[in-house]
Amino acid sequence: MLCQSCGKRQATTHIKTILNGELKEYDLCPECAEKMGYGSFFGNMGFDLDKLFGSFMGGFSAKPAKRCQCCGSSFEDIAKSGKVGCANCYDTFYEELLPSIQRIHGRTSHTGKLAHSAGTQVKIKNELAKLKSELERAIKAQEFEKAAELRDQIKELERNE
Amino acid sequence: MSENKYTALKDVSDVVISTRIRFARNLRDYPFPCRLSDENKRKVASVVKSAVLDGHSAISGRFQYIQMSELTQEEAVSLVERHLVSPEFISDRQGRGLLLLDDESVSIMINEEDHVRIQVINKGMSLESTYDLADKIDTLLDEQLDFAFNDKLGYLTQCPTNIGTGMRASLMLHLPSLKESGAMGKISSSLSKLGLVIRGMYGEGTEPKGAIYQLSNQVTLGISEQEAINNLRDIAYQLVTQERAAREALAKNINIQDKVYRSYGILQYAKLLNNEECMQLLSNVRFGVEAGFFSEMDIQTINRLLIEIQPATLMKNIGKKLTPQERDRIRAELVRTALMQPQVPSSHRLEE
Repeated sequence: MLCQSCGKRQATTHIKTILNGELKEYDLCPECAEKMGYGSFFGNMGFDLDKLFGSFMGGFSAKPAKRCQCCGSSFEDIAKSGKVGCANCYDTFYEELLPSIQRIHGRTSHTGKLAHSAGTQVKIKNELAKLKSELERAIKAQEFEKAAELRDQIKELERNE
Repeated sequence: MSENKYTALKDVSDVVISTRIRFARNLRDYPFPCRLSDENKRKVASVVKSAVLDGHSAISGRFQYIQMSELTQEEAVSLVERHLVSPEFISDRQGRGLLLLDDESVSIMINEEDHVRIQVINKGMSLESTYDLADKIDTLLDEQLDFAFNDKLGYLTQCPTNIGTGMRASLMLHLPSLKESGAMGKISSSLSKLGLVIRGMYGEGTEPKGAIYQLSNQVTLGISEQEAINNLRDIAYQLVTQERAAREALAKNINIQDKVYRSYGILQYAKLLNNEECMQLLSNVRFGVEAGFFSEMDIQTINRLLIEIQPATLMKNIGKKLTPQERDRIRAELVRTALMQPQVPSSHRLEE
């Protein structure tokens, strides 16, 4: 998709604003987004400080920026593009990403379907949560036989936990 | 929440045009597409392709693989118009592949924003069955591919807005009465507080055409697939109720009646129709069908037309490139023929 402002460059930034109760959405290229005052949605966290120190030291940067060992992304790369480089980045930059994740989703831990590669502990926890919500439903619907069955399953799982 | 609460609203096809479920998945061993070399793009495509095509499931044999770079521009745009791929997917087609089920209900995009995007689309309101199929295909792929998954953050995606379930559930809604009454602005701002978003017909960054909107969940982390779907369904049913109430009031208005019947007249007799006008007129007539002005007309005919009149799909079906004017002529012809079947205006309208 091309930038809606200049119509020339590829749009990479999606802007949503609510003006007088009307939702407006735009797709902008980084240049136009910058010009219109929309930075990356990661805000300016962390890396600016390093830059500032870097310029004080006259090019002798205090420490090289942390990079993902898998794909080579620095957090600055991610913050600038709004795109995470690879799965490993989520481990490498977990602390740095967390505030944005919290802001986007309002929550920071997953519930729902698990990949087969998920840890056993998580699988058990997930199964328990599912059974408990089923139990609640069964009790509400007065399906007591089903509820008893579910309760046994929950006990069994909790013993293995 | 169970579906029976809404038995009174059971058939909501007047408002809900289609249901779509999309999963974003990535392979653990490759960088995400933004950092993927051309060679690795090819590898990802081939790994995903064989996981689908060489699978043991009965569904495997029904997929065809399309190398996106080999399509003509019209064929590619038509995929977007038919809601089979995202607009972003065809903006740069190099290294991208598509697995398409024979009835076009399932499309798997390879190397879009994520390595794998599984999408299932169905007519009308069918969140449960659409989710079940998407879930089944995802499980099938999960058995053969090592998906990037983190115990805390769930499925990992290139954009942090999709982590967690990686699921986007959307309903395509026709809301002409709410639009006409000027309520859409207020609705969309209150939806964002509920973790939902309402957008134009082709999703992110598109304007609503012909009062067709896409309602989808925004939050994907910390909310299970089932909760997100229930949430979406609840809100959709509220919108259906509101749309119907607003429609009832509007349908009595002589100016609106006039607009609908004029729209029908133009669609029946026009020789040239451009896309935008045609969308608007079809939307008006669809409103008329919903409000019971045209008892004989099937709403599915209009749903079908809303896609077939799109420029690239029009050219794809004709099989050649057309100038804008040729398109307008063929579009008018297409609509005229489709509406030709006897459409008797319902009697209560004639009494007035």
